Amino acid sequence: MHEMLLHSDGCDMISFYVDGNLVEAKKGQTILEAATKSGHYIPTMCYLPKLEPISSCRICVVEIEGSDELILSCQTPVVEGIKVTTDSKKLFEYRQNILKLYDVNHPLECGVCDKSGECLLQNRTLEFELDRQEFSAKEEKREIKRWGLIGYDPSLCILCERCVHTCNEIIGDDAIEIATGGYSSHIKPKGSDELDCSFCGECIAVCPVGALVSTGFKYISNSWELRKIPATCSHCPVGCAIYYEVKHDGTLDASEKRIYRVSNDFEYNSLCIAGRFGFDFENSETTKDSSELSRAVEAFLKADTIRFNSFITNEEALILQKLKEKRGYKLINSEAYIFREFLSELSMASGVSFYTGSVEDVKRSDFILSIGSRIYDDAPVVGYAINSAKKLKGAYFGYLHTIEDNRIHPSKFVKYEVGAEEGAIAALAYVILKDKIVDNRLQEYLDDLDIGYICSESNISEEELESLAKILKSKSSPILIAGSDLYSHKRAENIARLLGFIEKHSNFKVLLIPTSTNTLGVSLICDLDKEAGDYVIGYNDIGDYRLSSLGDGDLDMPALNQQEGTFTTIDKRVVPTNAALPYGGYELNDIAKELEIARENTIDYTLSLPRKSGYRSVGFDELDDEISKDGVDRRGYNLVIEEKDTHFNLQKIADIDEYNGVVVYVSNPTSQFSYMTNRARLLKDQSSDLEGSEQFSIAAKIEDGDYVSISFGQYEVKKVFKINPKLKGVVGILPIFDNMLSTYLLPSQYKYQKVEIKKASLEKKVEEN
Amino acid sequence: MVNSKAKYVEVELEKYSLKPFDRFKRVMKRTFKGELFVGLGIVFREMVRFNIHTTQYPGEKLPISPRYRAIHELLRLLESGNERCIGCGLCEKICISKCIRMDTHLGEDGRKHISEYTINFGRCIFCGYCAEVCPELAIVHGPRYENSSEQRAHFGLKEDMLTPIDVFKKGAQKEYPGFGAPSPDADKRIKKTPLAY
Ligand code: SF4
Ligand code: SF4
Ligand code: SF4
Ligand code: SF4
Ligand code: SF4
Ligand code: FES
Repeated sequence: MHEMLLHSDGCDMISFYVDGNLVEAKKGQTILEAATKSGHYIPTMCYLPKLEPISSCRICVVEIEGSDELILSCQTPVVEGIKVTTDSKKLFEYRQNILKLYDVNHPLECGVCDKSGECLLQNRTLEFELDRQEFSAKEEKREIKRWGLIGYDPSLCILCERCVHTCNEIIGDDAIEIATGGYSSHIKPKGSDELDCSFCGECIAVCPVGALVSTGFKYISNSWELRKIPATCSHCPVGCAIYYEVKHDGTLDASEKRIYRVSNDFEYNSLCIAGRFGFDFENSETTKDSSELSRAVEAFLKADTIRFNSFITNEEALILQKLKEKRGYKLINSEAYIFREFLSELSMASGVSFYTGSVEDVKRSDFILSIGSRIYDDAPVVGYAINSAKKLKGAYFGYLHTIEDNRIHPSKFVKYEVGAEEGAIAALAYVILKDKIVDNRLQEYLDDLDIGYICSESNISEEELESLAKILKSKSSPILIAGSDLYSHKRAENIARLLGFIEKHSNFKVLLIPTSTNTLGVSLICDLDKEAGDYVIGYNDIGDYRLSSLGDGDLDMPALNQQEGTFTTIDKRVVPTNAALPYGGYELNDIAKELEIARENTIDYTLSLPRKSGYRSVGFDELDDEISKDGVDRRGYNLVIEEKDTHFNLQKIADIDEYNGVVVYVSNPTSQFSYMTNRARLLKDQSSDLEGSEQFSIAAKIEDGDYVSISFGQYEVKKVFKINPKLKGVVGILPIFDNMLSTYLLPSQYKYQKVEIKKASLEKKVEEN
Repeated sequence: MVNSKAKYVEVELEKYSLKPFDRFKRVMKRTFKGELFVGLGIVFREMVRFNIHTTQYPGEKLPISPRYRAIHELLRLLESGNERCIGCGLCEKICISKCIRMDTHLGEDGRKHISEYTINFGRCIFCGYCAEVCPELAIVHGPRYENSSEQRAHFGLKEDMLTPIDVFKKGAQKEYPGFGAPSPDADKRIKKTPLAY
């Protein structure tokens, strides 16, 4: 019978028996994984598929014929032919005893506990028929802790260690640990009393009981009263799968008009702070007033330009494109424009229509380089993917940037000068490609590169490059992550081509991080223009007539949590999102209808997304919108990737512009991406201060706590300055999420700016507030 | 069930004349038969004797059985006067006509508090499930059964149902033995938890 099961990849498969049924498993798979996959049930408490087995709860024990000992199925790999029993009287009693111990002095407070209804301890206690408790222990004083967005109640904690392992293996913050002390053991922030971490809230999500809770959600709703709406996070290009959990607000109105929390399929995926806590950015209290619509139509008839950003759906982008085709508008989205240019240069060099890497590839990779991105802030979940590759697969991670980032713990940090991205990429291309080239012109180009000169110009040490090259030799699945510093670089063209050749001629995959949520989609769907005309419609952007989902424009628009539609994510995947909240006003499609572009609903456009850019003719309602039970992301579809002709057109590496004086790096903190996250109630305490090192404060002649005005070009922003002891070097970090600059100006400008910083008077600040 | 043997039978009625004069005679006969005065006489006799059996509603009300499930009350704890309801939401969940709705929040004392609690009495079928499921004996059916209203939707708010604090202080909150109350032998059935070491 065994022979029958040998598959094409047969040599990797082994088979064994679970409760008398023949089950096959991949070599190395654990008993638990293989048994669960084949539909058998083994109870667990501490096990989480996305982590290495923790093995703290022992509830997953099974019997194996011929062995007296009980075996932990979550950590034991399958051995050919073993006979596993998952349930027996002995196992039941064993598990029951474990639960009795868990329940010792566990407060009987399910009645108020936020976890009630989805609590693993509650479920297992019921499952193993514990209706009484014979044991007790002397009560300890246990204080409920509040660490910012996270609350911890040690008396509910069962010490399963899921939170600690998640924070370390997935997130990388490694911010919490177990304080051991027998019966008084508990979780504590590592090395301090206060929790100082990125507050992703993953520990809350994985906690099987009510020990770790969101302080913003505490006691405001029972979980079973909430309705889960599958959606896509709209803050960054990763497009994580989330559920908006909604319910009525107050007791007298039945409409589901409030999002209470965001949750996710935490067994397999993780969210960042913005995705988890930045959900209430809706445009509420909107109504339809036909005179307002006619004013909007008038403005559209008068206008020659539409300016917008990439926080829109693919369908809206297509409506804008149709408006352009019909009425000849200029479409201005400078950030998607430069991304499109970059992508098309890259694909002309690589010979495929897109970059080939994905976030999954990062997780599977054994050698990761990242350049031109402060990755934990630009696409946090890519940062988590790097961290898990490092921790779980032993991957090597080289972080190339101008500013050291102490959250990342790279295997190696390679610092380059501000403005030296082109040189740094050329040096990487040299290291990666020098021995494997088949193309003579490229060989010649590389031979001509004066690596010594480039390195000294860019301030990269040659030894560091050598050591990268050496490590790379033993690696088989390398990936290169490139970020938005590069798209806005004045040498972006050549940088893109170099990346394209790396992709074509080595085993490196390249992963670009699009600048914002739907930058990729907009760049594929809209035929964008460079110069604006005279009368501008601004859609969530500046303009003579403004459509706004913030409620501050001439006509209200729905926010992204009130819309159906699709996004095109970093993985070149088209994923659907659903409306979590009702919206009472007009949509872009209503205006389009007035202008005689007639489709009933916005989602009727999903079917017609441009096939020439890789979209498929799939209607919105045919798109799958969930993660499957075994963790496979089944949302939407992947764009079709095509072969392309390649061109050889590399240019000489240009000299670097001098960045002397006071320089800031325009970048938002992890928790904040845009005006949307800036509206979120739970994120409003996140700092938007200008930050810099001691050194920066000396260079800029400002002190901690100063209120300063920062000007560059024709722009001026006012901020409080804070010295951040964790920052090094002379470049300050300027967040702009709280300012309209973040949407219309800066995303397309080089992220480093020479600035003039002056102290501003405080009275002014009071006034502005 | 249809009886297969059933059949129609013609009833023989006494023929009576429809002529106008005969009709007039019939009316006069029925009107002055005197039975009317017999009835009036009895009423008059009982009236002057002051021996009335009718309950003088609304001036007078009948006592009502504790098993009767009338308008809900939210009770306070006997010692502290704190609200008994812990906001567990079980009543909201179990309610068969989905007419209970509540809002809770984290109080300054770190406990769960109810901000609002409403029952739509226009929808409530007074089944008693909420009172039965409540682990705190907080929501009970009281004796107040008069709940007519001009509208179909008719919300009882928390302040309508909760024992007012001044009433409570006077000791006037009554433990009503009706639906949701502890059984008479509750003391005997109570068990110690192992926490009492
Ligand atoms: S953690 Fe679970 S078992 Fe404990 S009180 Fe909360 S819901 Fe109940
Ligand atoms: S919030 Fe995230 S980073 Fe902070 S302790 Fe929890 S898991 Fe770690
Ligand atoms: S806080 Fe939650 S996840 Fe962490 S050890 Fe305790 S029970 Fe487990
Ligand atoms: S990584 Fe991006 S998409 Fe994912 S949760 Fe965070 S902001 Fe949302
Ligand atoms: S069941 Fe009782 S304690 Fe729970 S919410 Fe309802 S009234 Fe309050
Ligand atoms: S699930 Fe295996 S030890 Fe916890």
